[in-house]
Amino acid sequence: MNGKLKELIRKEMLILLRDRQTIMLLFLMPVALIFFLSLAMEGVWTDKLTGRKIQLVVKNESSSSKAKLLAEKIKNNPAILAIQARQTDNDLILADGKTQLVVTIPEGFETGDSPVVLYFEPSIDAGYKIAARSLITSLAVEVFMDIDNLEAVMQSLIVEKAKPNRELPTPLQQTVPAYAIFAMFFISIPLSIGFLKEKNDGTLQRLFTYPVSTHLVTLGKIIPYYLINVVQFVLMMLVGVFVMSHFISHAFYLGEHPWQMIPVTLVVAAATTGFGVLIAALGRTQEQASTLAAVGTVLMAVFGGIMVPHAIMPVVLKKAAVISPMYWAHQAYLDIFLRSAPFCGIAPKLIVLTVFAGICFYIAGRRVKWI
Amino acid sequence: MNALDIYGVTYSYGNGTENALEDFFLSVANGRMHALLGPNGAGKSTLMRIATGRLRDYSGSISVYGRMMPDREALLSIGYVPQPISLYTGLTATENLRFFGAMAGMPGDRIEARSREVLEQTGLAGHARELVSTYSGGMQRRLNLAVALLHSPTLLLLDEPTVGIDPQSRHHIYETLTELNAAGMTVLLSTHIMEEAQRLCQAVTMADRGRVIYEGPMSEIDNLEKFFLEKTGRGLRDD
Repeated sequence: MNGKLKELIRKEMLILLRDRQTIMLLFLMPVALIFFLSLAMEGVWTDKLTGRKIQLVVKNESSSSKAKLLAEKIKNNPAILAIQARQTDNDLILADGKTQLVVTIPEGFETGDSPVVLYFEPSIDAGYKIAARSLITSLAVEVFMDIDNLEAVMQSLIVEKAKPNRELPTPLQQTVPAYAIFAMFFISIPLSIGFLKEKNDGTLQRLFTYPVSTHLVTLGKIIPYYLINVVQFVLMMLVGVFVMSHFISHAFYLGEHPWQMIPVTLVVAAATTGFGVLIAALGRTQEQASTLAAVGTVLMAVFGGIMVPHAIMPVVLKKAAVISPMYWAHQAYLDIFLRSAPFCGIAPKLIVLTVFAGICFYIAGRRVKWI
Repeated sequence: MNALDIYGVTYSYGNGTENALEDFFLSVANGRMHALLGPNGAGKSTLMRIATGRLRDYSGSISVYGRMMPDREALLSIGYVPQPISLYTGLTATENLRFFGAMAGMPGDRIEARSREVLEQTGLAGHARELVSTYSGGMQRRLNLAVALLHSPTLLLLDEPTVGIDPQSRHHIYETLTELNAAGMTVLLSTHIMEEAQRLCQAVTMADRGRVIYEGPMSEIDNLEKFFLEKTGRGLRDD
């Protein structure tokens, strides 16, 4: 390697690695985000993917054998978690906060004179309410009509099938690439601040009193940050695979072609470095550059499905997501982890990111003022 | 042969204002210490930028030891001490010297040997491995000079090298410059401190509003500050 380029890279690396705030921003922030947001999202995912048990309180006011059988069937159903209530009043039971449903089997249920009463907390999720009502209804029908297993009868009439899940990632499939990309785009802050600091304190001017080309200085700036981007991604993956697996019940499945992470990461790092160079060229002061970089990165994250998974965004935002390079980067990783897509399926996203990087570098090249 | 010849240089920053330099001429004889004086806006820093190859779109010509600028060899014969302390404060003195030495194209062993010499010369040998951010203003100014001396230039351009430092560091810089000049180095010193210029320099060029208003030997001037004010006037230069 060119000796001058080697020294330019070494200088940049030394300054960067000695800056504790930058290290925290680039490495600790995404690790913390991955850790806490994966845990936070796990509850949501448990509901969506595996189904939460229906928690309810059963109050049997009848001494008939059918009422006892219904109470037993409800309590023993694998989809139900029956809770013992200390109170007898329905409102007091719900106020306790442990359940959102009280099922009362009244005297006269066995003769058909009194229906089973479902008493819901008004804030209950609509889907959860429908599921609970459907399950209790089928159990009541089983008991009332002396059907041994209504589920088995229904299976001869209705077969349930589902499209393979290719849209909704698990918590780690979502957060690890998402916050790795987020942190990689944050490289624009130290890159632009470093450039403007050198420009303002005169070191860049001094540098150009030596026989050094602007191309070499540019490469000396880009290469270290590009390498750090790659290290950031590798570190986040290691955290996801080896650390987070101890805290999250859903395993981090990397798909059938995990090697595809290599070309995707190399292209994503080019896009993130390009963004950083663009901010450095556009910013006039360090404060302006850091604000531009932070606001730009957060907005791209909001639109790009980093903070809220793209799969559960409203339709309008889903369509708007394509304006964010983070969307293309994140979807490229989800192609690998979630869809096990062939490389030709990922390539269009990489082309979009390469074009984004090219545009950033081009505009930066036109706008940059070295002195 | 002169170390530095500037013929009829005119330069404008292109923002519609008057020329920063207008038909500027300056010759610095080889082995001399030459003062460049002028009030704010005289064009001293612009001249330094042009002489060190950082501003290119000027008319007129500049030659360093007979080589027309911009020229790679001519650039390497110049040591430049900028007015701001232009050092990487996140690096140590040794690391700064290694970096700028590499930019000058010096081999590693030569950088190491010269680093020891210039750190000794500027009184920083005992602080070579400390981060520059921990240095006092005077130490940073001396390292600013050390970096310029590292690649053994024969022409030293100094832009207000003693601004804002204590008398001890200033005195050390004066001694270093005197020794270097005695050893044959040519020096162009841009300064606002008249006593500094009169004490160190054998020749003087005075500029005002981008033009040369006086050039001559220092020996012909009795009181430099009085002479300077007579030439440039006593009015404030806030514009």
